[in-house]
Amino acid sequence: MFLVVLPFLVLVLVFSYLPLAGWATAFFDYKPALGLSGSEFVGLQWFRMLVSSPTQLQQIGQVMANTLAMSFLGIATSLLPVFFAMLLNEIRAPWFKNAVQTLTTLPNFISWVLVYMIAFSMFSTSGLVNSVLNDWGLITTPIKFLDTGEHVWLTMLLWSLWKGLGWGAIMYLAAITSIDPALYESARIDGAGRFQLMRYITFPQLMPTYVVLLVLSIANMLNNGMEQYYVFQNAFNKEHIQVLDLYVYNIGITGNSLSMATALGMLKSVISVLLLVTANAIAKRARGTSII
Amino acid sequence: MVVVPLLGALSLAACTAAGSDDDPSGPVSIDQDWSEADPITVDVYDGLANYMGIQGGWFGKIVKDKFNMELNIIAPNVAGGGDTLYNTRVSGGELGDLVVVDKGRQMDELVEGGLLLDASDYYGSMTNVSPFDTAVQHLNEGKEGVYGFPTSVSSLKPTESSEGIDPTFGPYLRWDLYADAGYPEIGTLEDLLPILKTMQDAHPQTDDGKPVHAISLFKDWDGNMMVTAKQPATLYGYDEMGFVLAKADGSDYQSIVDPDSQYVRSLKFYFDANQLGLVDPESTTQNYDTMFAKYQAGQVLLSWWPWLGQSAYNTEQNMADGKGFELAPLQDQKVFSYGAEVYGGKQIIGIGSGAEDPARLAAFVDWLYSPEGILASASETQGAAGPEGLTWEKGEDGAPVFTDFGTKAILEGGADVPAEWGGGAYKDGVSALNVSTVLPIDENPDTGYPYSYKYWPSYQETTSNPLTDDWTSHMGDPASTMDYLQQNDQVVVAPGASFTTPTDSSEIEAIRSQVKATIIEHSWKMVFAKDDAEFDALLAQMQSTVDGLGYATVLEFDMANAKAQNDARVAVAKEFG
Repeated sequence: MFLVVLPFLVLVLVFSYLPLAGWATAFFDYKPALGLSGSEFVGLQWFRMLVSSPTQLQQIGQVMANTLAMSFLGIATSLLPVFFAMLLNEIRAPWFKNAVQTLTTLPNFISWVLVYMIAFSMFSTSGLVNSVLNDWGLITTPIKFLDTGEHVWLTMLLWSLWKGLGWGAIMYLAAITSIDPALYESARIDGAGRFQLMRYITFPQLMPTYVVLLVLSIANMLNNGMEQYYVFQNAFNKEHIQVLDLYVYNIGITGNSLSMATALGMLKSVISVLLLVTANAIAKRARGTSII
Repeated sequence: MVVVPLLGALSLAACTAAGSDDDPSGPVSIDQDWSEADPITVDVYDGLANYMGIQGGWFGKIVKDKFNMELNIIAPNVAGGGDTLYNTRVSGGELGDLVVVDKGRQMDELVEGGLLLDASDYYGSMTNVSPFDTAVQHLNEGKEGVYGFPTSVSSLKPTESSEGIDPTFGPYLRWDLYADAGYPEIGTLEDLLPILKTMQDAHPQTDDGKPVHAISLFKDWDGNMMVTAKQPATLYGYDEMGFVLAKADGSDYQSIVDPDSQYVRSLKFYFDANQLGLVDPESTTQNYDTMFAKYQAGQVLLSWWPWLGQSAYNTEQNMADGKGFELAPLQDQKVFSYGAEVYGGKQIIGIGSGAEDPARLAAFVDWLYSPEGILASASETQGAAGPEGLTWEKGEDGAPVFTDFGTKAILEGGADVPAEWGGGAYKDGVSALNVSTVLPIDENPDTGYPYSYKYWPSYQETTSNPLTDDWTSHMGDPASTMDYLQQNDQVVVAPGASFTTPTDSSEIEAIRSQVKATIIEHSWKMVFAKDDAEFDALLAQMQSTVDGLGYATVLEFDMANAKAQNDARVAVAKEFG
């Protein structure tokens, strides 16, 4: 039995535990040309620096606020794909349903760089939207959609929804097909209308799937990735767009302070563990069983 | 009697240390014909290159014919991502067979990490480099070997400008539109604003209907500060040293976040310009290439660099129509000019410790310092003339003149190279190394004239056109832009001391990276602020944030460097001047 598990243990070891050795970088003054062994050991210097002044703390605070805010917004809108799938399911004409589904799924396969190019050609100061508004005489100076510090969280949410909505609905569409038709039949016999079927049969039947995905997304709260924010960042929205992953990238790769970026990255793991323990405690209290 | 076995043991140890029989343990001559050697491909990590891949075209053919090798150029500028490529390669233990990197931190690190080869054994026979021995020794001081070769070396005095004809910096305006406005006198920087406004209002669109803005900015080169906001400071003789703006003559040092600094003055200048509608709104999102294309299309009216405005817009055709960028002097300007670097420029050429055939590479490096190598490899923007026989030849009096092909290829926008020289477009065959080993202003011993064609009498005769004629007659017949500045005492030369900035300690580097991100972010916001109140609020916010991040520590370090640099300038001016 053990031999069957072994390959997976090896994979976990190689891809999840072995990279942790890289954490050592955070305790050295790492210089790539000299290697870790040639670099000076500095102990907790980088960690102390991260908390050395109110400004530092404030910067990290802002980054954490951005990270959590965008994750929460993402979680708060995670019901949208459920509704979208339910409504899509109600469409009678198959060609129309397929067309909508294809068109909404497609953006998921466009990389963020290309999404930014689309955004740029539409919303830059000389882009489509500004040109049209200008030609119609509605504005005289172009509206700054991309290079502004206002409503950053909201616009980022809208972009990720546009990109992910159709894809997110696929799972629920699959779940809908596996709902027992007998439930619908008996509801109809009881006189339920179309909306009542959705409200009392489809929606509750989708909830288990939804909850599983919700728990997974909470565990990934700090991992909101950086591609989207990296391509959209500029001097004007940086304050509100810098999420933890992007901040680590900006310090480590752009700023060339690899050791400090590692120290910062470790912070993320610490918070993730805290979140996991908290979620576990809540689950234990609510359902009586623990997940770890 | 005891001595003999001891000596024997020592020499044995020396042999073991050398590793294998191939490794030289004494001076090695590189003077041989390499064209018959085994073909090799050499990885060249080149911090100056703007092209990535195998060097082709006429330069590729010359290298192939002479050394039977191909250059595989690895260009961090093309790869993007700052130091990522450098870090990845050095942590892999091999940067390249041939490297062009910065002196100071990068070179020190590579020597310490054992990534650079000690070329002492070959140096003795590198006869083309040896005239610049002072610079080589200075570069490798305290390193127990010859690990790097200096670039941009020169036999000029350090107190002489290295720039020659065109300064590096200067207020360049669209001269035709400036003339239409009646050549108004420009007292100081801020006086440019009403003039630019007049010029833009009179010419709001290009001939093909594209919008024109007096000023267009870009962000790609933002380093310690917003790069376009540093430029006006150079007109008053300042250059950056970290977060310090230091005057070329050592008379003033400014912290850039100081409200009275030239840097904040520039930000205010752009802010005012933006309030007047003179700043291209796309400045915030565009990159250098997009901006350069706007200069080419005539959509921008002001350039702080001749090598931007002039190289983009002053085409033969435009100049024949009287259109183009020329220097419009500010009355109180004192333009910063880099003196000839006696000990070489910021970059060095080194041979990688893992190189397959170091002797051949040493020969190649040596060739780059020969007249033939300089003419073929020097960077084109600095006036590289190309190989003799292809683009130019010696005239009857021995002075160099362009061939018909050279005129077409270099002055008239391009031509196809004859097959015996490798074929392809001339521009595609230019050396991708993009490094000048010897300053183009230096004299070519073979002809008695500078390497750069811009100094040749034959070139200067042919370049007369309505634009330059108008400029020259208006400015009182100077021989060149630099000549005008010198005559009017509007230039200040910083002696070329080849000062190497000491490596930032990691702590300073970490603070610096956070501080500069803050400064750049706020600078951009200040330029595009709604009103004066927001501008001032952002300035105050920038100052308090950088203070909180530890600005004082870095500033102290930069100040000390700036002063040390000035001491070095004074010393070198005294020694060679």
